[in-house]
Amino acid sequence: MMKKEILTSARTGDSCIHVKHSSGLDIYICEMNGFSGVEALFGTKYGSVNTMFKTAADSDYTVVPEGIAHFLEHKLFENEDCGVFELYAKTGASGNAYTSFDKTCYLFNCSQNYEENLKILLDFVQKPYFTKENVDKEMGIIGQEIKMTNDNPEWRVFFNMLRAMYHAHPVKIDIAGTVESIAKIDADLLYKCYDTFYNLNNMVLSIAGNISADKVLEICDEYLKPCADKGLESVFPPEPDEIVEAETREKQPVGASIFNLGYKCAPRSGIDRLKAVSAASIVSSLLTDPALPMCERLLKDEVINSTFNCEVFYGDGYFTLIFSGEAEKPELIREAVFAEIDRLIAEGINEKDFQRVKKSAYGIMVRELNNVEAVASLMLNAYMENVSPYDSISIMSELTCGDVIDFMRSQLRRDRCVLSVIETED
Amino acid sequence: MIYKRSELGKGIGFTSMVDSKFKSCVLAVYFLTESDEKTAALNNLGTGVLAVSNSRYPTYAAMSEKLSELYGASVGSIAKKKGDAQILGLSASWLDDKYAIDGEDISGEMVSIVHDCLFAPNVRDGAYDSESFAMVKKDLLDNINAEFNQKRGYAITRAVQTAYRGEPAAIMEYGSKEAVLSSTAEEAFAAYQELLKTAKIEIYLVSPDEDNKFADMFRESFAEIERAPKDVSIRSHSPLKAEVETVSEEYDVNQCKAVLNFKTDSDDRYALKMVSIILGELPFSKLFLNVREKLSLCYYCTSRSISIKGAFFVDCGVERKNIEKAKAEILAQLEEIKKGNISDMEIQGSLMALDNAVSQVGDTPTSYITWYADCFFENDYYTPEEHFNRFRGVTKERMVEAAKSLKLDSIYLMLNKEVQE
Repeated sequence: MMKKEILTSARTGDSCIHVKHSSGLDIYICEMNGFSGVEALFGTKYGSVNTMFKTAADSDYTVVPEGIAHFLEHKLFENEDCGVFELYAKTGASGNAYTSFDKTCYLFNCSQNYEENLKILLDFVQKPYFTKENVDKEMGIIGQEIKMTNDNPEWRVFFNMLRAMYHAHPVKIDIAGTVESIAKIDADLLYKCYDTFYNLNNMVLSIAGNISADKVLEICDEYLKPCADKGLESVFPPEPDEIVEAETREKQPVGASIFNLGYKCAPRSGIDRLKAVSAASIVSSLLTDPALPMCERLLKDEVINSTFNCEVFYGDGYFTLIFSGEAEKPELIREAVFAEIDRLIAEGINEKDFQRVKKSAYGIMVRELNNVEAVASLMLNAYMENVSPYDSISIMSELTCGDVIDFMRSQLRRDRCVLSVIETED
Repeated sequence: MIYKRSELGKGIGFTSMVDSKFKSCVLAVYFLTESDEKTAALNNLGTGVLAVSNSRYPTYAAMSEKLSELYGASVGSIAKKKGDAQILGLSASWLDDKYAIDGEDISGEMVSIVHDCLFAPNVRDGAYDSESFAMVKKDLLDNINAEFNQKRGYAITRAVQTAYRGEPAAIMEYGSKEAVLSSTAEEAFAAYQELLKTAKIEIYLVSPDEDNKFADMFRESFAEIERAPKDVSIRSHSPLKAEVETVSEEYDVNQCKAVLNFKTDSDDRYALKMVSIILGELPFSKLFLNVREKLSLCYYCTSRSISIKGAFFVDCGVERKNIEKAKAEILAQLEEIKKGNISDMEIQGSLMALDNAVSQVGDTPTSYITWYADCFFENDYYTPEEHFNRFRGVTKERMVEAAKSLKLDSIYLMLNKEVQE
């Protein structure tokens, strides 16, 4: 038995299909007329933060080495008889995968043979093959990936900030782990993680573009192996509200100094989180808006340049608002942000500015619906966040100045702010 | 999609692509001129200021306020290089009027904004407004300094400079840092005036409905400019160095980078591209399967054919102690292609991947613009289908010939400071 529903955006008229498949899998399908491409994402709620877990059948929690979710993603591309890329080579699809903090996704993009590609995708993700030899071989490749990211100053400034912000939550660990931590990974551990997290009750298929929903569901019926819900429980160590340290600096071989200025906010989930994300996005737009005095002054004084940006970063057990960019004196930006938030809380937000940035956010959201890949991601993220794909547009339209002020007053505290800087070497 | 190209004036092309599936519109105005050390920085700054302010919105603040009122519309500058040419310009994108909540005429407003950016910039006494100019200049200098932040990109840039030394293609899209530093607002405005007169200009508009407002505006505005467009040479084969040149630079980095540059006298761009795909563009390519998967030497090892310059690059990130091993394997895999060791699966897989890519031209507004602009730059107009058929016509023999024509020219190495084992 499948449960099927059509989800529609009242604002734009866009719609997609959501199916709770009998195998346990959630499936999102968006038929996009006029587009040639197809983007499919098969994802699990399993990322670098899921380092401690158990199922209903386990008596104790299992603690796994840092970087194992990412390692597993690499290894799932190898079948017993051939590599997955060889299969995609025969259909012309572009296959890939990624691991983030809270999810791992396998994807393909194609313009032909989507049925065959979907079969490949559903098949290989449900068919792990780990051996000592193929695990050992991967150590060198991932070791090089870790070294490459260690040379990326944006990556370093971000993780330095997370380490200064979080005492215990595993969001502070590198997604790929370290050369030392991945050395502890073996085939048995990979199977343990796979069996726990790659359960269809913990997974989603999101597919958009030039497709037929009926055909997609027919293939799903054929290829999905029903899974019993194992009562997965992923736990995180207790995390205090306070930050670890307010400032962290590191010298690196860079041409321009960069910074992250992050506020540690209370973590949330579901619709509550989406509301907080909407409020935080408006704060982000207001504080990086060149039309408003703070940003205009910082640009004029050459404290910031066009790289000045702000984003909301969140997941299970973490939520932050992060300003970033190139700057020689980021402490001046911190002072300005502190003062501007105080001013907005005290004086309120100009209604005209508020409506303007809301309009801008709406325009950007609608434009995203232009794009096959963006629509597939939108549906996948909605599942991961336990909301509907078009909730963002409706929540943004209902947001008030008061909601934004409340968010700033309760969440953007000076004593929960971390400045991370990567400085040029002398 | 309805495609129309017309000439709006001397050396000014206007291409309109109407595709009803889109919810937004995208415009790109390209100025094509020769890369020249004397003018590159000024051209970059001269067009950079256009996206920051104009006579009606005289500050970046005023311009930003207006664009965000228009549902987050954007205006940006373009500065890149293609072969021996410098490409500059202005881009814009905005939400289609149908989605305006309060019924605003977004596209009408964008015609005025784009007009004023290009034809009525914020200028006083023959110089750009000093505040706008200072902001753009600082931004460009910061960008130049930040190039080293991205180690892979920096290594490729250094490899390109080494490969094309002495040629226009070696000139960065911003000229040089020194030239940027010494530029004035007056010189930048004069450089832009010169581009308006002498550059080849190509304009692209993608929209869900036919809209003549932009074509009319451009036609009228350019009619007031005395145009004398100059021919631009984009394509020239970069000469092979007499001896393979290796440039090594040491930095405090974790991972070394190696970039190998080959040169070719072949004009068979389709065969060269097939060689590049089979050698190192995809996860079933020889470099991926051997340098990465078999020998575990690299996380990435990829190739790229730049037929416009008769150049071919392979780049990888690798341990210092493994550089020679990686280099030997790269050369060995290229040698395999030269010997004709190309499987049907490799050829079919490459063709399928190309077909997959070209079939999606038109899935985003920008993909249309990139496609037709590339046709213009190549001076060779073809549909995605015709393009694919040209690849399908490449025989194994042509691939082998193309591979055989590749000669190692130069190597750039970014080394870490570890003691070599």
